[in-house]
Amino acid sequence: MVQSSSSPGSYIYTSTRLRVRKSKLLTPAEYHRMLNMGLSEITRFIGETEYQKEVEELGTSFSGVDLIELALSWNLAKEYQRVIDMAPGTLKQFTKTYLERWDIYNVLTILRGKIQGLSEGKIKEVLIPAGSLNKMVLDRLLAEESCERVIDGLKNWHLEPVLQSHAAAAISSGSFSQMENDLYKKFYADLLKVEEQGVTGADQFIKFVKLEIDTLNTKTIFRMQADAVSKASRDLFIPGASFTLDELEQISGLSDQVEIIDALSARIRNEPLLIALEELREKKTTLNEINIKLTKAHLEQMERLSRIHPFSIHSVLVYLEKKKYEVANLRALARGKESQLPGDVIEQYLVI
Amino acid sequence: MALKDVKPTRSELIAIKKRIKLSQNGYKILKMKRDGLIMEFFKILEQARDTRGALLEKHMRAQEMMAIANTVEGAVAVKAAAFSVTKTPDITLKSKNIMGVVVPDIEADSVRKGIAERGYGVLGTTPVIDETTKAFEELVEAIIESAELETTMKRLLDEIEGTKRRVNALEFKVIPELTEARDFIKMRLDEMEREELFRLKRVKARSS
Repeated sequence: MVQSSSSPGSYIYTSTRLRVRKSKLLTPAEYHRMLNMGLSEITRFIGETEYQKEVEELGTSFSGVDLIELALSWNLAKEYQRVIDMAPGTLKQFTKTYLERWDIYNVLTILRGKIQGLSEGKIKEVLIPAGSLNKMVLDRLLAEESCERVIDGLKNWHLEPVLQSHAAAAISSGSFSQMENDLYKKFYADLLKVEEQGVTGADQFIKFVKLEIDTLNTKTIFRMQADAVSKASRDLFIPGASFTLDELEQISGLSDQVEIIDALSARIRNEPLLIALEELREKKTTLNEINIKLTKAHLEQMERLSRIHPFSIHSVLVYLEKKKYEVANLRALARGKESQLPGDVIEQYLVI
Repeated sequence: MALKDVKPTRSELIAIKKRIKLSQNGYKILKMKRDGLIMEFFKILEQARDTRGALLEKHMRAQEMMAIANTVEGAVAVKAAAFSVTKTPDITLKSKNIMGVVVPDIEADSVRKGIAERGYGVLGTTPVIDETTKAFEELVEAIIESAELETTMKRLLDEIEGTKRRVNALEFKVIPELTEARDFIKMRLDEMEREELFRLKRVKARSS
């Protein structure tokens, strides 16, 4: 999966370019301005930023929230593609591997869209063709009549065996949750295998993967704790990072938030996450606030890693993650304005 | 009961007197039942008012959470999570008796589920879906509670109405009519007695 490296100059060049791109991402002040705007003003505002090309291209065929959704999806996919093209040597391979998560998202979105009887256009609006399954493959899958045919059309995809093992049960019940959980688990298991291949820079990539697994598992623990009726379930956790499945199951079985924080803090060495956990200990927060806090801590740690290892995969990944959240924020803003939600409510759900 | 249909006999008088006593007893009992039902109704009305308030609040919260979930996750993801639910709540309908009125007793199991049992993928969703699901689970619970109380209230109202009609019928129709019939028979019997006495006197006077 991961191949040779390139000259050090190209690593420095890529990292610098990505740092510049990162600096062009929307600032909190700009989000706050947008929170006071209407949908058409937001469209115009987005049209004056990095999304200008997509908004202009699609402006004649779409309007309102559909235009924003599609423009954001197109921009994100293009941006990911540009980063892959720009990244040298092993960075390219790591980036491609990281972006394969979008394949899971796209495949599941198509399957769910088909089950729900949504139109091709409506499903296409939310697809992000950034992974190994390109636009052409996704268009072909979208044109398929049934979920069975979509799965048959993915014969060459490396996660296809997971799809096949759950296909019958998922299609008959209409629930793809088990399939989704197993796809993500297999995805992370595959990411961790990069370590075994002994490629230069793999240690930094693994650091990121473990950080992400830890954050995801921490979020899941808090989600289970917030849900008073939840029983500890190891099926919901991803193995391979700071905690074993047994430990995660044990921690998720704790009912007191402070005990959970103690158990997590005892093992986690990631400073922003530790600070976030300490803040959670001090005041009562909602599940959403916990989630946003942990996401911010995750991004903060990625930022730190990219500063410590400036010419590693971290500088690519931190930009890609921040870009992902920018698109998610803009989507939430547009949809929230369309649903006429107050600005302060929308703000609570933005990662800024 | 028309007076012309009344037979002015002693046995009829005794029967009517018995019916008057029975009607008066029934009237008293039904009046007590009506008052008891009204008290019970007001007790449940208070609970139903609170439950209805909570239901409206939970409905608003669920609608708000749905709008937020659509905002954060998008309609496709929200629909996907909604369609993932495989286990529907078990609702057992029993009945209980309040002063002779059969009212429903609804018991619901597994309305609230843990995130592992809800059916949607935990690794591909955010806590917004959890919060939305929880809001809707609470709404379903409130609907069930409200349904039980409001059906009870409706049945109690019907019964109060019926009892009130019966009390009024006894008070303003049955008992006055029976009393009138009793008085009529008494009057007729007295008259018959007087006639008999007069006849006897006349016979005695003629024979002497």
